[in-house]
Amino acid sequence: MKLWHSFIKELQLSSKSWYFYIEVGMAFVLLLILLVAVPEETDNRTDEYLYAGSLSSDYVDLIYRGILDDEDEYEEYERVEINVGGDMYGADLFVTDTRNIYFVDERDAVLRLAEEDNEVGIEIVQGGDGGLNYLYYLQGYESERLRNLYMVLQNNKVNYRFVERHMDRQTVETIEKDPFVLNNRENIVPVFLTYNGSIMGLFIMAAYVFLDKKEGIITAYAVTASKVWHYLMSKIGVLMVTTIATSLIIVVPIMGANANYPLLILLVVVTAFAFSSLGLLLTTYYRDIMQSFGAFYIIIVAMIIPNVSYFAPSWEPGWIKWFPTYHILEGFKETISAGGSAGYVLNVSLGFLGAGLLLFIFANYRFKKTLTI
Amino acid sequence: MISVSNLYHSYSNDEKYAVKDVSFEITEGEVFGFLGPSGAGKSTTQGILTGLLQLQQGNVTVAGYDIKHIKNEMFNKIGMSFEQSNVYSKMTGKENLEFYRKLFDVKTRDPQELLELVGLGNKSDIKAGEYSKGMKHRLTFARSMINNPTLWFLDEPTTGLDPSIASEIKKIIKEKNNEGVTIFLTTHNMFIADELCDRVGFIVDGEIKLIDSPKNLKLQYGEKFVEVEYLDGKKVKKESLSFVAKRDIGRLKEILDSFEIRTMHTKEATLEEIFIKVTGRELV
Repeated sequence: MKLWHSFIKELQLSSKSWYFYIEVGMAFVLLLILLVAVPEETDNRTDEYLYAGSLSSDYVDLIYRGILDDEDEYEEYERVEINVGGDMYGADLFVTDTRNIYFVDERDAVLRLAEEDNEVGIEIVQGGDGGLNYLYYLQGYESERLRNLYMVLQNNKVNYRFVERHMDRQTVETIEKDPFVLNNRENIVPVFLTYNGSIMGLFIMAAYVFLDKKEGIITAYAVTASKVWHYLMSKIGVLMVTTIATSLIIVVPIMGANANYPLLILLVVVTAFAFSSLGLLLTTYYRDIMQSFGAFYIIIVAMIIPNVSYFAPSWEPGWIKWFPTYHILEGFKETISAGGSAGYVLNVSLGFLGAGLLLFIFANYRFKKTLTI
Repeated sequence: MISVSNLYHSYSNDEKYAVKDVSFEITEGEVFGFLGPSGAGKSTTQGILTGLLQLQQGNVTVAGYDIKHIKNEMFNKIGMSFEQSNVYSKMTGKENLEFYRKLFDVKTRDPQELLELVGLGNKSDIKAGEYSKGMKHRLTFARSMINNPTLWFLDEPTTGLDPSIASEIKKIIKEKNNEGVTIFLTTHNMFIADELCDRVGFIVDGEIKLIDSPKNLKLQYGEKFVEVEYLDGKKVKKESLSFVAKRDIGRLKEILDSFEIRTMHTKEATLEEIFIKVTGRELV
C-alpha cells in the first residue's frame, strides 16, 4: 500500500515536472520526424545526365527508341528543366525502374553537373568509324573497378547486351522464402524505442533523483515507516509508465496493428527497469548531475555504438553483442516484424529483468548506505 | 528511551572518528539537549540514532529497537524535524503532509490541524516551493509530528524563525513534552537548550565532555556577577564584578560609595559561558 501511495505521488510529481513533458514532447517530435522526414521507401533510382547534341537527330531518335524499347512500362519521355547552379537547362527525361536519364540540351549542362553537383556526366559523340563513343566525366575518386566496368559496358566486343544475356542465364535462388523486410520508416522505430526508452530513462531517472537529493526528500522518506526500496521502485514505476506511453506514441501510428504489442510492452518495461536501476545506482556515487555528467556521457555514447551495426549489418564484430542496446535494438525489431522471433524477445527480456533486479538490489543497498550524502 | 554506549563512527572508515566513545542514556519523557559547535559530531550521532547513518561500532537502542537491526516499524514511534527543510516543493503544504501520513502504520494527525498549529493554516493550499525559508522550516517541523511520535528528534527547531514564531515552536515542544514525549534536541543555541532541556550534553570534537542539567551546571560552574553602570563625572561607565572574588567585592563597595549609580543588575552565568569554560571552545 505504501508503495502504491509513493507511486501515485511520484506520478503526480512527474506530471508537474519538465522532464515528463520533455519525454512526451520528444516522442511526438520523433514521430513527426518518422512521418515527415523519413520516406517509407527510398527512391533508389540513380540520375544520369547525357548530352547527345552533336549527333544527328536520327541517331538521337535511335537512342531514345532503344531506351523506350528496353523499358516496357514507359512509352514516352517528358520534357523538363533542370537547375544547375541557378541556371535552367532544358532536358528530355526518361524515368525507368532503376534510373532517371536526362538528355540535356546543352553540353555545358553536363560539364557543370559533373563539376558543381558531383554527378556523372556522359557525352555521346559519333566516332570516326560511325559508331557511338561515350565520354564519361567522372569525379576522380571512382574506384578502378568502376572505371573498368564502364569500359566493359561500352566495349564493342563484350558490351552490356552481351553481359546482360549471360546474367539472365544465371539462376539465383533465395534461401529464405518471402523474407519480411521493414520499410525505411519502420526500420528506424527500434532505434527510437531504444534510445527514447532506455537511454532517456537512464538520464531522466538520474535527474529525478538528483532533484530529490537537492531537496533532501530521500532523508525525509528514510525516517518514515516505509522502506527505501518503495521510494526507488515508485520512481522506476513512473519511468516505466512514461516509457510505455512514449513508445506507443511512436509505434502505433507507424506500425498500426502490425506489431506484437504484448511482447513490445514487455521489452519496454524490462529495459526501462534495467536502465533506470542503473541510473539509480549511478546517482549513489555522485552528489549532483554535474558531478555525474562524465559517467553518464560515457555510458550513453557506448550504448549508441550498436546503432552502427544495426544500420550497417555487414559490420557486426563479436564484441558488439556485449552491448545491451544491441539486443534491445534486435529485440524491438523482432516485435515489429511479421513472424518475428518471440523466443529471442523473451530471452532478451529475461536477461534484462535479471540484470535490472541485480542493479536494483545493489542500488537499494547503496542508497541505504548513502542516505545522508 | 535511548541508550548509547561506546559509539564510534568514521566517515573514512579509518581512525579519524567523527564520533568517539560516546555514551549516554535518555529516559522516557526527558528533554535532552545535544549541544556543540558545528562539526562537533551532533548530526553524526543523530544520524546514527535515526538510522540515516549505519552503526559502525558501539551499542545503540532507540525506542526499544536495536539500531544494528533497524526495523521500519521503529519509525512509527519516531518523529524527525530536520535543520534543513526537506519538503516536496511541487506539492502544497497539505499535500506534503497527506502524503507522509500514508507512510506510517499508526494513527496520524490531521494535516490541516498540524498546519494551523505551526501557523500555516491559511497557506495549506500553496505549493511548498513558494513558501519562505521559515515557512518551509515550520512545515518540516509539522511533518515530524504527523505520526504522534513518542520520541521526537529536533534538529535546530527554531533556526531562521522570527522570535514570535520561535516562541510558538518552543511552546509546542513544551506541550508535547508535557504529554510525555521524549525529545532529543540538537542545537548550538544555548538559550533554547537552557529553556527547554532537562539535561544537556556538551559534545566537542566527537567526544562528550559533560552531561548534566542546566541548573546543576550553573551551580557547579557558574559565577554570579553584578553589572553596575555609574556616572564618573560626566562619563557613564560600566563594570561587571564577581560576587565571590574579594577584590571585586571591594571594588563594588568603592563604586557604591563614590559614584552615582545609574543601573545595577545581578547576572547568572549562561550555558554558553559554561560551555566555553568546560570545553575551551566557542559555539560557532
